[in-house]
Amino acid sequence: MADRAGVIHDLGYRHYDGPRDGVATIARTLFVTGLRHAFGLGRSGKSKILPFLLLGLSTLPAAIVVGVVTLVGLSDLPLTYAGYTNQTQLLVSLFAAAQAPVLFSRDLRYRSIVLYLARPLPAYVVALTRWASLTTALLVFTVLPVLVLYAGGLLAGLDVSDQTTDLLKAVALLLLVSSMLAGITGFISSVSLRRGFAVVGSIVALVVVPGVVTAVQAIASEEGAEQVGVAAGLASPWSLTNGLASAWDAGVEVFTPPEGGWVVAYLAVAVLIAGVGLAAIVARFLKVGSQ
Amino acid sequence: MNSTIIKLAAQALLGRRRFWLLLAFPVLLIALTVTVAALTDAEAAWPLLPGLGYPVVLPLVAVLAASSVLGPEVDDGSIVYLLSKPVSRHSVALSKWVVAWAATMLAGALPLYVSALVAGGGDRALAAGLAAVVAGTTYSALFLAVSAVTRHAVIVSLLFVLIWEGLLGNLLSGVAWLSVAQWGLRIGHEISTELPDPTNLPWAIAASLVVTVGGVWFAGDRLRSFTLRGED
Repeated sequence: MADRAGVIHDLGYRHYDGPRDGVATIARTLFVTGLRHAFGLGRSGKSKILPFLLLGLSTLPAAIVVGVVTLVGLSDLPLTYAGYTNQTQLLVSLFAAAQAPVLFSRDLRYRSIVLYLARPLPAYVVALTRWASLTTALLVFTVLPVLVLYAGGLLAGLDVSDQTTDLLKAVALLLLVSSMLAGITGFISSVSLRRGFAVVGSIVALVVVPGVVTAVQAIASEEGAEQVGVAAGLASPWSLTNGLASAWDAGVEVFTPPEGGWVVAYLAVAVLIAGVGLAAIVARFLKVGSQ
Repeated sequence: MNSTIIKLAAQALLGRRRFWLLLAFPVLLIALTVTVAALTDAEAAWPLLPGLGYPVVLPLVAVLAASSVLGPEVDDGSIVYLLSKPVSRHSVALSKWVVAWAATMLAGALPLYVSALVAGGGDRALAAGLAAVVAGTTYSALFLAVSAVTRHAVIVSLLFVLIWEGLLGNLLSGVAWLSVAQWGLRIGHEISTELPDPTNLPWAIAASLVVTVGGVWFAGDRLRSFTLRGED
């Protein structure tokens, strides 16, 4: 039986000779399950409350804005798509902090990771799949309200090409921020397995640190030390995203907008944070998986 | 109150990594204030307190402290060993609250006062310190009550602080009547008028007292009828 690709436990009663699905199928199934679990689907009713409450809170203002645009007959949205996510970043951070432990802590804490690794799925694929689930969940969470705005805007007769350009900029930024947040919260949750502890750690990284950066930028801008503020912006995922959004003219105002080479640096650091987060998660799963 | 439970709760709070996270907040706040005050001037550092220290750092310390004294035991079920002892449940709750309160004062209110001293001092610093003491006390009791009700205490407490008091509090001024932070500010306003004046004083004092006493009592009451549940 050396050539078998999938695993169906052969207890010696009756052989299975049918087709076997490979690693790709297992990974895909795990990804879909993870994505569902991030929103509480397939889990208890109580676990659905928080994700859908947050999703509702972040989508409701978009629906209201669309209603206002339609009723008052504005010729433009009062805020851009990237600007909308900037307004709701607290909700996005809370969603990431609250749902990352669901995907990353539970398997490790209850050692059910052993059961996943008993399948032909290598530990790094499990880690990558979990990260992909959380990134996709975050992307869905952030893109949904933006799509509501976009659809509403188009139905209200706004200019299609302007809106589409804005939307594409916003989606690119959301992809970047989702992968950064998933890397950061996923790593924190896979290291500190106590749920509350992981949540507070993620909140520090996603709310407190950006708050500090914004404060530093505001002070730097007031004192005329723009470069200090721009450099400080490299320190948190939200300040990176907002800095890039302002550099790409996507409708986000920051105290110290990055210019020239700084824009490249912002983009590079953002990609680096996402990559390092992912690598750290993989390393963590490999370590736990080998124990 | 029970000195053994206080000792155990203090050990749980100071044990290992949790302590470092708890310590990180005051260090971060004071370091930031001192750096800004040194590089520019004390006046420029002041906005850090109403902008970051008071609305974010103080409640986060209270969340961490209150959920650390009760949360882990509820999480792994070892609370039944504590509850099986012939100690009043209210006394258990009160002992745990005392530890959470002391931690909030030391890691939340005191650093806030020190930062306020660095950023100018005077009446304003004293007022900020008083506001932090009042709000920290109320927060720790409120979050202890939340920890006794739900496993998701940290998230629920954070939702209250960040969404209700933070996001909605900034948009709707009426939220001030039901906001722990604003009650503290109103009481601090009596010392220095530089602090905002969101509600009226009797309401702020009464509400803070009711939430503090009620929170600790409610936590004890929840422990009295405690049921163990699995992960959901």
